[in-house]
Parts: sequence; C-alpha cells; structure tokens
Amino acid sequence: METTLSIENLRVEYRSRDLGESTKVAVRALNLRVGQGEVFGFLGPNGAGKTSTMNVLLGFVPPTSGTARIFGVDVREPIARQRIGYLPEQTYYYKFLTAEELLRFYAGIFQIPKAETEQRIDAVLKLVELDHARKRQIKTYSKGMQQRAGLAQALINNPDLLILDEPTSGLDPIGRMKVREIIQRLKSEGKTVFFSSHELGEVETVCDRVAILHQGELKTEGRVSDLLREHSANLEQIFLNLIGFTSQP
Amino acid sequence: MPPALPIALALAIALAAGGRLLLWQQAGVQDTGSVFALLLGESRRAFADQVFLKADAYFHQGYYPSVFDLALPDGKTHMAKETEGHDHDDHSHTPSEREYRDWLERFGSHFYPAEHRHMEKFGDAREILPWLRLSAELDPHRVDTYTVAAYWLRERLNKVNDAEAFLRDGLRANPGSYEILFELGRLYAENNRDVPRARAVLELAIEKWLRQEAGKPNPDELAYGHILAQLAALEERTGNLPQAINHFTRLKRVSPAPDTVQKRIEELQTKLSRP
Amino acid sequence: MNTVWALANVVVLEMVRRKDFYVLFILTVLLTGTAGSVNLFNDRSIVRYLKEICLLLIWVSGLVIAITCTARQIPAEREHRTIFPLLAKPVTRAQFLLGKFLGCWLATGLALALFYLFFGLVSASREHSWPVANYLQAGWLHWMMLGIVIAFTLLGSIVFAAPSSNGTICFVCSAGMLLLGRHLNKVALSLAEPLQSLLYGLYFVLPHLELFDVRDLIIHNWELIPWGVVALATLYAAAYAAFFLFAAWLIFRRRALN
Repeated sequence: METTLSIENLRVEYRSRDLGESTKVAVRALNLRVGQGEVFGFLGPNGAGKTSTMNVLLGFVPPTSGTARIFGVDVREPIARQRIGYLPEQTYYYKFLTAEELLRFYAGIFQIPKAETEQRIDAVLKLVELDHARKRQIKTYSKGMQQRAGLAQALINNPDLLILDEPTSGLDPIGRMKVREIIQRLKSEGKTVFFSSHELGEVETVCDRVAILHQGELKTEGRVSDLLREHSANLEQIFLNLIGFTSQP
Repeated sequence: MPPALPIALALAIALAAGGRLLLWQQAGVQDTGSVFALLLGESRRAFADQVFLKADAYFHQGYYPSVFDLALPDGKTHMAKETEGHDHDDHSHTPSEREYRDWLERFGSHFYPAEHRHMEKFGDAREILPWLRLSAELDPHRVDTYTVAAYWLRERLNKVNDAEAFLRDGLRANPGSYEILFELGRLYAENNRDVPRARAVLELAIEKWLRQEAGKPNPDELAYGHILAQLAALEERTGNLPQAINHFTRLKRVSPAPDTVQKRIEELQTKLSRP
Repeated sequence: MNTVWALANVVVLEMVRRKDFYVLFILTVLLTGTAGSVNLFNDRSIVRYLKEICLLLIWVSGLVIAITCTARQIPAEREHRTIFPLLAKPVTRAQFLLGKFLGCWLATGLALALFYLFFGLVSASREHSWPVANYLQAGWLHWMMLGIVIAFTLLGSIVFAAPSSNGTICFVCSAGMLLLGRHLNKVALSLAEPLQSLLYGLYFVLPHLELFDVRDLIIHNWELIPWGVVALATLYAAAYAAFFLFAAWLIFRRRALN
C-alpha cells in the first residue's frame, strides 16, 4: 500500500516564555505511517499531543526534531498541502462571506480553473447539504451548518488526504451521522482520512486503523479489528487501560 | 470599537459642535465666548491664536514658517502687518534664496507651499475670513481679529456693512478698545464718507487711548499716531484746518518722523493764512 | 500571485460589508455639509476653509480605515481560527502577509477614491473648476503614504497581540510623524551632541509620511508637483512598505501557530 503520510521520530517541544519554566515536550519519538485509502483514527486524551502532531503535519509548528512527510514531501514545504483538506475543530469562518464565496476564495488559493471551481462548489455544497444556503452569509448559519461549511472547504480541492480535527465536536446526533456518512463516502472514493476524535464509538465504526497517544508517546497502533481481538474489549476500554485510567469503586 | 474610531468621532463631534456654535451665533446669541470657555476653558485663547495664524497662512497661500523655522521678532503676523503697510523685505524664503539643511528637506519642499506668496487675485482675501471669524468666536477679546477682518472686508471685498457689523461685535466684547474704534472711524471716514460719525468715533478712540495708555511707561504711540493722523486728514478734507493743525501738532510729539509732520503743519498754516 | 489576489479580495469584501467605512464617509459628508452651510459674512464663494475641513476629515478617516482594517486582520484570523484552514492550504506565510497587505491597501484605495470624489464635488460646487491632475496627485500620494502605514500596522499586528494596542501605537506614530517629521532636523540642530547626531540619524531613518501630505497645495490651488518628484515619492513609499513587510515576514515565518 502506498504511504500517504509518514512521521519519523517526531519530537515537538514548546519553550515557555516565563522565566524558570521548563520546556514542555508535547510529542516524543513518534513514528506513524498512514496508507492510501485508509481511515486512520488518532486518539488520545486532552494534552496527549494529537493537536501538536496535526499542527506539524499542517506546517503550523516546526518539528523540534524528526520529520513528517505528506505524499513524500516534507510538511515544511507549502506544496505538501496542495493535495490535503483540513477541517479544524470549531472554526468560525469569515462571517461576512457566503458559503459560495468562501469556497470560491479557497478554490482561488488552490488555483482551480474557474469552470471547475463552480462544478466543485456545486458538488461539495450538495455533499454537505448546504446547497439551499449557499448565498447566505455564514454569520446566519447554525453551528452544525458552520461545521458543514468547514467540511466543504476541506473538500474543495478534491483532496487525496483529509485531516479532520474533532470533526463531530459540538454537533447534534444527526450532524454526527452526516459527518460519518461523508467520511464513509470519501473512503469509498479511495481518499485517505486522518482524524482525531474523542468519540471512540464513532472511531470504532469508521476507522480502519487507530493510534493512541498519551503524554506525547505512542501507546499503541494497529487495525481496529486486531486491537479488539487482542484485548478482548471495546475501544473505549482499551483506550482507558492504555492511558492508565482506573475507575473509582 | 476600533481604538482610533473614538478619536475620529471626538474630532468629528468637536467640528460639528464648532459648526453649530457658529450657526447659533448667527441666530443672535452673542456671547459664544462663554460657550467656548465652557468647552475649552482658558485654552480657547491658545486655539484662537492658532486659528488667527491659520488666517495668516491663508493670506500666504498656505505658506507659513513653523515655530521650528523662525519666530517673527515682534510677534505680529504678516497679515496684520499688511493692514499697517506690509514690509515685503522681511521675507527671504523663495526657493532660490532659501538654504536647505539636507536633501530630504529639499525634496520635501515640493510637497507643501515652500514659496512666499500673497493672495493676489481680487476677492481671494475672502478665504481668510472664516478663520478670523472662528478666532473671534474662540476669543472675543482678541482685538486684532476684528480690526484685521474689517480691513480686508472693506478694503478688498467691498463689504463695508459686514465690516462695520463685525467691528461693532468686537466693540461689544471690548468696549474700551481704541484699536477697534480707530478702525471703525476709518470705515466711516474712508468708505461711508460720514464725517460727523467718523470724527466722533475717532475722538472717542483718542479718549480711550489717553485713558488706557497715557500713563504707561511704554504707551502704544504707533496706534495713537494713526488715530491722530486719521483725524487730522479728516479735518483737512472737510476744511477745518485749525483743528487739523491741532491734531498734527499732537501727532508731531509721537511721530517717528516729526520733520515731515512739521512740514505738513506749515503747509496747512500757509493755506490758512491765505485770504 | 493568484493566492495573494484571493486573500486580498476577501479583505476588500470585508471592508465593503463592514459598517466602519460607511460611518466615516457619512460623518465626513455631514460635517463638511454642516461647515459649508455656515454663513460667513454673506459670502457663499468662500471655499478654502471647506476644502481644508473636508481634507482633514478625509485624512483622519483614511488613517482610521487603514489602521483599524489592518490591525484586526491577523488577530481576527487567529481569534476566529480561520488562519488554520487557510495556512493548511498551499499558502506561504509571505503570500499570507502580502495578501493581507494588498487587500488592506486596495480597500483603503477604494475608500480614498470615494472620499476624493466627494472632495472634488465639494470643491467644484464653489470654485467651478475641476483640477483632476492635482486631485490625482494628492490622492495617489495619500494612498502611497497609507501603504507605508498599512505595512507598519501589519508588522505591529505580529508584534503586539492586541489589535487595540497596535492600532493606538500605529495611530500615534503616524500622527506624530505627520505633524513633526518635517521639523525633526531643526529640532536636532538645536540639541547638543550626541543627541544631535542621534536625532538627525533618526530623521533620515524614519519614514517621512508628511511628504505625502499635499493638502495645502490643493487647498490653495498651487501648481502641480513635477511628476518625476511624485515618482520618487512613490519609490520612497514602496521602499518603506517593502521594508516593513520584510520585517513582518522575518518574524512571522517561523512563528508557531497553536
């Protein structure tokens, strides 16, 4: 299987601005490989280093050491991001734009030809079911609609890799179901999806493989079905065991 | 709200308030000085000075040396000097004559009026009037605002009635001003040809001058001389030669050119002695 | 360049759809109208004070629009987290800064065009003349000056986290330079060494925004500035804007976004 995303010996440190504060290690010696067409779940409690890893993949934060590559290109090169789509957690898009204008703007960044842009806008707005509201300014959208607009912008360039940060966060059950359907549809189209989530049931449903991170270290990585079989437990129990959580009697 | 927006709004409100106050004044409320005093306190006098300087800058087509460039030795504006007979030799700021301190200053001189010019076209002088009016609104006790404005109104713009009305405003705010009375006397004498009123006003100016200045160690003799000369000329024109001689005799005592005045006295005495 | 244009286009759209610009324009119209309605010695042909007030309002509005529009760009992108999906696309940090600069500069230019058109109408209503070339020079130089201010504000928005403090600092610096820039050398000469050399050095280093302020020439109907001089002033503005943008890029290119 062709590798879409690879991380080797990644270390991310944050230097504190306050005197006397030590450097915080967010990610240490992380190695990951995601193959083409996989839906990969990136799990971990808050502060585990998921967002830091994603920030490196997207070029927001430079790695302290190690490398990360997307389609074989170092993530520090902007061109590495040509074939990816990214949906951040809870983003408020330019409120003064309509969904159509927002997508046209992002299409312009990808330098998609005009005729193709209009076709892509039609397609993604239908996919995320925002076609009826395409000419309304985003400030009039509900939270779920804004999240779907975010998904639409992540798909505008017909990406081969989707990086989704908590894509269902804050959505109602119907909204979650719709996002899950979209991920499944993308998988069926052969797209690679790399996403972080706290919704372990959801991850179990849609992911081929998962990695569990805790305190910046990779605790486990593997196919969901293999992990379930190995541990004879569901994903949530596996997750809690790996991060050393013991419930109070 | 963006931080600079309040500044802009404050400026806007200040300008709007200024505009409204001018309208209010025209509606008959005379003592706007007190309104400005309320808004600006004593700083209104400083504003009035600046606005008066602005009028002078307008007289020079925007050209005006800043406080950093030079300070006029006698503290008078060029525009005020014009009303007293402008001395053109005190300017040497045309680009060819001016020495620039550095290349940036030389380059910068293209972007502002760097050449000494006066308003030349007939009627251009009207452009200084808004600033003089505003200066008077800000500080009604600044006498030269009225005299300078009246001079330009009657001499360059043929607006004798407006000049008189403005002088009367000034007189209401400064009842003891011999300068305003003198200007009013000139107006009656030169523009209205109303000799009795001109005489009465000029004589009142003399009276005020004597009351305010005579006892001072350095009295304003220039103004006294101007009033006497105006009165003497008025009497001479109307044929009242003894009275003219009388004024010239008083003028001789304070004039910087007593010989010239003496000559005029002798001429009048000769004229008087003829049958 | 497409990326830079796309970014710039969004900034322009933002200005068009926000209310700030309209408020300032309406205020300018209202205040100029009020000042114009004042009866001064029964003379309706007095115009220069009106031109002065109108141009002052245009200059204040221009600065407010340029600084507030620019100061909020990057902080707003971070606050609303829109910078993340944006920079997750093939956009370099340099393109991001250039797009923001170009957008703010074009938006300010559009605003200036409307303001100067209004000024032309006010002036023509009393002077019955339309010195287009003079107005073009004044508007162009004004726009160039705002280019420096915008680049400086953009740099400030990377250095200072709060748009309000950045806006205030930029406004004070710009106004200070406009009022005192021309006189710094004279002040320097009145000082003793080493302050004299220090201030004179600063006089050459600081951007002389006042060079672009030709209001007095417009108010008093002076002749056109030689076009070669205007071209040199344009280069001067471009050099300073480029310097500030380069400094902004130096700081921003390695800055972690999290």
